[in-house]
Amino acid sequence: MDLIIFISLMALGYGFGRLAEKRHYKSIILREAALSKLPAVATRIPPPGHQAYDSQLVTGNVVVSVDYFKRFIAGLRNLVGGRMTSYETLVDRARREAILRMKREANRLGAKLVFNVKLETSSIHKGRRNGIGSVEVLAYGTALIPTDH
Amino acid sequence: MEYSNPRIPEGINTSKEHPLKEFVILTSGVLFIIIAIISGLVITVDYFADKIPFEWEKSIPVTRLSQFQGDTVAQTLPPYLDSVSKKVIQKMELPEGMEITVHYVNSDLVNAFATLGGHVFLYRGLLEKLTYEEELAMVIGHEAAHIRHRHPILSTSHSIVVGIVLSVVSTSSADAINDLLGTTGQISLLKFSRDFEYEADEDAIAVLIELYGHADAAVSLFELFKSQMTGAEPVEFLSTHPLNDNRITRTRKLSQQVSSQTDVAMTPLDKSFVDWLQQQKRQADRTE
Repeated sequence: MDLIIFISLMALGYGFGRLAEKRHYKSIILREAALSKLPAVATRIPPPGHQAYDSQLVTGNVVVSVDYFKRFIAGLRNLVGGRMTSYETLVDRARREAILRMKREANRLGAKLVFNVKLETSSIHKGRRNGIGSVEVLAYGTALIPTDH
Repeated sequence: MEYSNPRIPEGINTSKEHPLKEFVILTSGVLFIIIAIISGLVITVDYFADKIPFEWEKSIPVTRLSQFQGDTVAQTLPPYLDSVSKKVIQKMELPEGMEITVHYVNSDLVNAFATLGGHVFLYRGLLEKLTYEEELAMVIGHEAAHIRHRHPILSTSHSIVVGIVLSVVSTSSADAINDLLGTTGQISLLKFSRDFEYEADEDAIAVLIELYGHADAAVSLFELFKSQMTGAEPVEFLSTHPLNDNRITRTRKLSQQVSSQTDVAMTPLDKSFVDWLQQQKRQADRTE
């Protein structure tokens, strides 16, 4: 009976997880293309120039959760070691999503560039030991908004 | 300087490996390794565990009892049960210093078992279902054979070894993994438990043939167990005992190897004993 519950959970996690991941990636690629005209860069110093800018902190954060199937594989990886490929897609999506949300905020403000972009990741524990429930990624930077906007 | 965010190709930070493939490889790999480790450890432990002196088993508290799991254990056996037990145990060729104590428990439970310290427990529920003396001898012989081969101490050692291995491994894993490893450990042990059952069957059948000239009682006993099953028999892979059909097949093979008469009538149980059992049942029902 336990085995049946386990297999159902795994199948559910796998099925819905893959679906959600595919859709998310599609959405990410679309929005990245749309916002590619607003660069977000990691340099600390604003680009030299004579235009007058206002600067503002912009942030984007996202919380992404991992499904049962991924968590199980990660648990096995904990035993034998190696790349946790199941989590890699999770963090990749979370990072890109956070940057996109930050860019969106900058775009709304009419910014031309976001610089000094930094990322911070933290895990939100569900309380079970060694079980990473979800990941929060925060992206923040300084948006440069032309003053004549 | 011009900054830009060009489209970056996918797959740099992620892997293209299909997750199901990874799942199958990881799970089967881990399971295989755990089973191999446990089997290796069990075989090693078996070599040492039966060197533990039998006297040490007797000092384990669980074996000193007049009350066992709430059922009253009788202080003395009825004379018939006592005489059949002695007859069977004498034929067992026990090593020096090994004593077997047979206990009777007045309970409806259809069960009999052998435990540490040479104690054999026979429950009224099972005894009531027997028809022939040979069947009773088979039950007693089977349990006595477990003790002769030190199966209780071996099984205990197996469980301890598996417990240690799993507790070491499980410090670094999530709950689902712990459950998986625990179940794998238990299933690995079941194979050894089934082998013990076959071994005990063999000895009991040899004693039956010595005492009565035939092993038909073993077959009729396993048929009785089969008829007691409510619903389908659980799959052998997940059971502590072999399938009754398999036990019957082995019995037939063994009794052909040893010369035996095939159509001897079996000795019915002593009437006084059967009456006494019924009396015991009435007593138990009254005190319920």
